[in-house]
Amino acid sequence: MTKPFSYRFVCVAIGFGALLTTSSIYHALLPASIPEGVAEKLEFFAKHKDEFDTLFLGSSRFYYAVSPEAFDNITRENGLPTRSFNFGIDGMNPPENFYVLEQILKTEPRSLKWIFVEADNIETKLHLKILGSQRLLYWHDWRRTALTLRKALNPRPDTKWYQRLNRLWSARRELTLHLGLFQKQFTNVGRVANFLSSQTEIRAPESVPKLGPKGDGYRLSGAAMTPERAENFRRTLAAEVAAPGHEFIDPYAEGAYRDCAARIRQLGATPIFVVAPSIYQAPLRFRESPPPGPVLVFNDARTYPQLYHPNVRVDEQHLTNEGAAEFTRLLALEFVRHVGQP
Amino acid sequence: MLFVEFRFFWFFLAVFCVYWSLRENRSRKIWLLICSYVFYAAWDWKFLFLLMGSSALDYFVGRMLARTENPRARRGWLMLSLCANLGTLAFFKYFNFFISSAAELLAWLGLPASIHTLNIILPVGISFYTFHSMSYTIDVYRGKMRAVSSLLDVAAFIGFFPQMVAGPIVRAATFLPQLKTLRKFSDVDVRGALVLFLTGFIKKACIADSVAPIVDRYFAAPGDFTAGSAWVGITFYCIQVYCDFSGYTDMALASARLLGYELPINFRFPYFARSMSDFWHRWHISLSTWLRDYLFIPLGGSRGPRWFVYRNIMITMLLGGLWHGAAWTTVIWGGLLGLGLVVEREWQHWTDRGKEAGTARRWLGWALTMYWFCFALMVFRALNLSDALVAVRSFVLFRSEGAQDLGAWMLWIVVALGILHWLNSRGTFATWWRRAPDPVFAAAYGCVAATVLLFIPPHYTPFIYFQF
Repeated sequence: MTKPFSYRFVCVAIGFGALLTTSSIYHALLPASIPEGVAEKLEFFAKHKDEFDTLFLGSSRFYYAVSPEAFDNITRENGLPTRSFNFGIDGMNPPENFYVLEQILKTEPRSLKWIFVEADNIETKLHLKILGSQRLLYWHDWRRTALTLRKALNPRPDTKWYQRLNRLWSARRELTLHLGLFQKQFTNVGRVANFLSSQTEIRAPESVPKLGPKGDGYRLSGAAMTPERAENFRRTLAAEVAAPGHEFIDPYAEGAYRDCAARIRQLGATPIFVVAPSIYQAPLRFRESPPPGPVLVFNDARTYPQLYHPNVRVDEQHLTNEGAAEFTRLLALEFVRHVGQP
Repeated sequence: MLFVEFRFFWFFLAVFCVYWSLRENRSRKIWLLICSYVFYAAWDWKFLFLLMGSSALDYFVGRMLARTENPRARRGWLMLSLCANLGTLAFFKYFNFFISSAAELLAWLGLPASIHTLNIILPVGISFYTFHSMSYTIDVYRGKMRAVSSLLDVAAFIGFFPQMVAGPIVRAATFLPQLKTLRKFSDVDVRGALVLFLTGFIKKACIADSVAPIVDRYFAAPGDFTAGSAWVGITFYCIQVYCDFSGYTDMALASARLLGYELPINFRFPYFARSMSDFWHRWHISLSTWLRDYLFIPLGGSRGPRWFVYRNIMITMLLGGLWHGAAWTTVIWGGLLGLGLVVEREWQHWTDRGKEAGTARRWLGWALTMYWFCFALMVFRALNLSDALVAVRSFVLFRSEGAQDLGAWMLWIVVALGILHWLNSRGTFATWWRRAPDPVFAAAYGCVAATVLLFIPPHYTPFIYFQF
């Protein structure tokens, strides 16, 4: 006997409903699957959360460039003692940093006063793949996925339907990637398999721990760039400096930064946004005034020439240990100056 | 696009919904063809033209064969099809292999030659769809089927996405008649197909991909491991290759079944085979029957003197090995399995042929079959001939200078999987899920699918047979 369409439809709906419900239950019950590198810092911070009052959250431009020890020494000397921790992680750009910040804030650290957040635009491109699938997967909850998709689609109210269609076509790869990752994250793909393999895998001890040699999250950087690369760096920098300008943070990132700032303030801390000294000489600005917090801009070779000498740079984005010491000093002094202002 | 990816799920959902909402058979076939080409283009759209060309040529040859009764002309048309299909396969798959082998041979003879290989990309599924395609022209030539008047049918048969890239190798005579009639949804065993798909998914995504890192670790440097690890490594490779390929086949069969088409089964519990010939009636059945009907029998088959039959077996198996990959390891693999078949025949000739084997002999037969298959598979999986020798030495002679150990406890996983497999072969899981009412089945299916997803390694490993 042929069953009516409505009956079949109900059965399919029940199947999907069961899949989604079961996935949601697993999602709620299973511990978050945080990849290596991020997990070490989160675990360490959760254990020692009340020991720190200052946090640096950003990418490798923070990880290898801000020494908490040096920062604390300078702030102490200037009458504003801090106890800081470097939460920099390789390749952690928005919106991953928003997710990590949320995890940090979930631990409800009582002593936090200052959170330095590296300001950057949302990254949606496929080269994210180089970070490995687990690193891409874990932060793809609906909030972060929706943010990334909005950025990828970049809808504007005044665009025609065919322009929107064109935009949709251009962003198809990003849409597929992020939606696919969201599906994987929502349906907990590999959560048990990951756990089992982490229990059975034999790993060689790391030569340099993720928390850095002093356990404060800061990791020493590499050697200065080669003379050939230095020459190229000089040329690119000169071109960048010759065409100064500024760049607005994209509206999606700005919304997320404002949201983050509100959450940080709810905890009783103050957000401080930092633009790291990269080679791009277009200082990022928030579109709406006032900004969600103080913004310290360091990607300015005219104001900070000492951060742009090839001897203190590993590459276009990163500083050597000497460069990191200088950047930490400048950051601490700027911080003291800002806090000291009425 | 792989069957185990989320995007295949959305793709198939779209194919399925539109397909069954179309009322006319022709519209459905056009839709299937479009979807099949989209599926193939998801890998590389440029090679789509090769697939289209192959379909068009074989359709044309089929039409020409139907028009003429002249044996010479018919043979000529068949040769055109065979040369085009095998020529394409030879160029894309074997050109570099033959060139580099020739260069090595000349160097060995003291005649060093400067020969350059080409940077050729192997089009996915070429070994499969050329065999699909050739089965059509050969069957029309032999008069086993009539030439089809519709190019759409031939293109839909060769390009049918569930079986296009990794089989099973479907005969034109099996599939083309199914395209003639409008499929009815009420005839589709939806529940059976869904369970089959999930079974294939578990085999591939949960089992094969989970054991793959262990196998990769062993075969990356077999000399670094103990002799016991050689046994662990090859046992896990047996599991991986079976679950990978039979998992793919299950998903292909299920996808086709959900669209109303039946594809031939490809595996019947091959690891319970009690002899080498029994093994080939259970393993990659569609290829072994294809080779039997289109190669072994035309060579003379089992008729004639013993040495003549053995020659036919060896040629068939060596070419079967070569079909699996352009490398000497695969050729030797085919040769070893052919040798197994020859020895078995010779043994049967001198002993009690035709008698019912006793229990002890059946077990011995099973053990010897598995041992020989593992032995040959070691050569097949090794990265090169020197690694193959090291691995085989560990496996056969229990000798290895290596100190790393994969852990014999892992063999307990094999025992657990073996018990499950045995229960499955006894039909333990065959019917109980059919008894539940539809809504209960749907809810249970959703829950089981959500649970299965937890066990998938996050990195998908490509299907092993995609490389063939």
